[in-house]
Amino acid sequence: MNLTGTTPRFRRRTVLGAVGLAALLAAAPALAQDLSGELVILQWQGGTDAEMWQKLEADFAAKNPGVTVRELVVTGQGDMRGPMRTALLGGEKVDIIINTWPAFRAELADAGILRPVDDLWGAANLDAALDVSWRELGSTNGVTYGVPYTYGDRSAIWYKTAHLEKAGIEPPQTWDEFLASIDKLKAAGYAAPIAMPAKYWAHGEWFETLLLRIGGVEAAARLAAHEIPWTDEVVKTTLRKYAELLNAGCCGTPEQMFAGDWDYSADQIFTADASNYLMIGMWMNARARNDYKLNEGVDYSIFQFPAMGLGHDDTASVDAKEISVTTNGNNPAAADAFAVYMVSKDAADILASYGYASPSKNADPSLLGPVQQVATAAVAQSKVQFVLGDLLPGDVVDEYRVQLQKFLQDPSDATIDAVTAAIEAKAQEVY
Amino acid sequence: MQESVARQAAGSRSDVSPKSRGERLFAAGWRTRDWPAAWLLLAPVLVLFGIAVVFPLVDTIRLSFFDTRGLSKPKFIGLGNYVKLFTDPAFRDTLVTTLIFTLSTTIVSVGIGWMLAMLSAFAPRQTLPFRVMIFAAFGISEAVAGYMWIGILRPDAGGLLNAVIGIFQPGFAQPWLGDPRTALGAVIVAAAWGGVGLPLMLCFASVQAIPKSLFEAAYIDGASHWQVLRSIMMPLSLPGVRVAVFINLLGALRAFDIIYILTGGGPVRSTETVGYFMYRESMTQFKLGYGAAATVVLLVAVLIVSVPAIIQRTAGAR
Repeated sequence: MNLTGTTPRFRRRTVLGAVGLAALLAAAPALAQDLSGELVILQWQGGTDAEMWQKLEADFAAKNPGVTVRELVVTGQGDMRGPMRTALLGGEKVDIIINTWPAFRAELADAGILRPVDDLWGAANLDAALDVSWRELGSTNGVTYGVPYTYGDRSAIWYKTAHLEKAGIEPPQTWDEFLASIDKLKAAGYAAPIAMPAKYWAHGEWFETLLLRIGGVEAAARLAAHEIPWTDEVVKTTLRKYAELLNAGCCGTPEQMFAGDWDYSADQIFTADASNYLMIGMWMNARARNDYKLNEGVDYSIFQFPAMGLGHDDTASVDAKEISVTTNGNNPAAADAFAVYMVSKDAADILASYGYASPSKNADPSLLGPVQQVATAAVAQSKVQFVLGDLLPGDVVDEYRVQLQKFLQDPSDATIDAVTAAIEAKAQEVY
Repeated sequence: MQESVARQAAGSRSDVSPKSRGERLFAAGWRTRDWPAAWLLLAPVLVLFGIAVVFPLVDTIRLSFFDTRGLSKPKFIGLGNYVKLFTDPAFRDTLVTTLIFTLSTTIVSVGIGWMLAMLSAFAPRQTLPFRVMIFAAFGISEAVAGYMWIGILRPDAGGLLNAVIGIFQPGFAQPWLGDPRTALGAVIVAAAWGGVGLPLMLCFASVQAIPKSLFEAAYIDGASHWQVLRSIMMPLSLPGVRVAVFINLLGALRAFDIIYILTGGGPVRSTETVGYFMYRESMTQFKLGYGAAATVVLLVAVLIVSVPAIIQRTAGAR
């Protein structure tokens, strides 16, 4: 057989095909190889979340029988970044870090611990599963480090349906209706309609969504990056709006606000029936279902933060958890595969069974409970901004929370000036 | 060597004070064959002490000269952390809070322990169960005690303290830990509660060591209980008081658990002591160098309290 005339074309096609396949294999090792070995995940979550993670890991392992998943569990109270840093500085090698703090992502990336996932994003075609806005949320300085697998609406206000029925009101849609509902709830016998957990950090939730409603996502993003100072008029206007709430007698005395954290505030609403509104993250859903044994959408529900008519009512504060892969993990292939798995339909279904929403387009929203569906729909229609407190450097967020406490003690204009100046002074040191 | 010691002891017994003779015997002991064995037996403890105490201490002092933020590389800044500490208004407030907390907790726990010891001394057998119960509180960890006190100090009418006061004033609901005016006092009470047991036992032991003949003589002379208490028991129990004050001061200076559990240093940093400041800077903000500098400041404070007391006790022993 004379192949002279045909051989070069055949060879060229073969060679090009082989090169292309090799490139694809090189770019997506996790997708082409059988995975094996141990996959180590740095796990800081407990309770129901930890249980959910066991299921996710088991499902992944069942799909990849050569892989064994091990959790490196770190424990602590409050901000879990401390225990995570301790583990990483202590030389622990993990393949996956579950992260919910953009500022921490930047810290890990600067320390060379995180591996960019832009290549993985392309090779696994994650754009088909995740909207581009989620990729932006998982990026630092234009480089993508995280694959978001769940998110929460932080602009939702929780309430017990019986309380509003007793006061004869519907969930308020506008700011004026919201202020009016406070009066009606007080008339119905609730001394402090808003359970304001100002002991540690949760009093910032109100400030952050008010900031979005007044200045939009751009103002919040610029403040987080310190492109505008804390003494900017948008911040002061936000605090004046916050003062309207306090002056309406929403929350009891400052001492009562300082006495409780978010879980005490949740108890005040859902067990003690002493308060009515709580602004907190979507983990409240799991607590209401599992701890308080309430029926989602029947005994309790949420409404989105009321509209203020200032042109930014289509905004929402969100949190998100993402999968980040490390540079020094022993099993990068399995780590990449796990990140891709977490936006699959199977993973989204497991998340939904625990009341968590997935940003993946593979997720079936009908699996979510009614409260989660309200939140998901609200976020889908909103311009989103990550929780401000998780974007700020540690020193600044500390000062911000303490100064907000001082503001709660005395929400006057003079205090607003003093508080914003103090936070700005700290920001000047840090940025 | 042993002969010279014996000669000295025999020849000088009549004209040398027992203290000097004891000193010579003590000094001679270091030159005996037991010395290598003594070091061998001490070695494990010294190694553990070195690893667990000396090394962390030295490394903390070293770290205090570096600027360490999060996972970034440490940068040597000399005394920069100390300059920043003492120009930081938050740290200055923390020092004041620590002073108030330390002195108040010590005075309350030692004062109450001392008084209870004096009263118990009049009926030692009958008060034994109460002394055991009070001392048991000393054995409870601060974290456990903290959670217990959270229930007692709950801000609503369901908190134990509010419920008791509510018997006389219905609806009383003071947020003890949420009010900056009462939070520090509440934390002091909670901390002092756990600290009463040790002073009680120490002072009680001091009183028990007083010769019975003194009491008998006093009562024969017609002294009242109050006179016996004031003129014999109180003065002669002071050694126990001194030890109790020393131990309580050191413990209060290093207090962290009870503050972490009850208030987290709030509200508005009104209960933040140096111990909590160290934790906040080192563990939550991961500014290890800055937190280490605060640790060194606390170390100096502890040394200021403990070294004179140790010197005094050593001199007294000689």
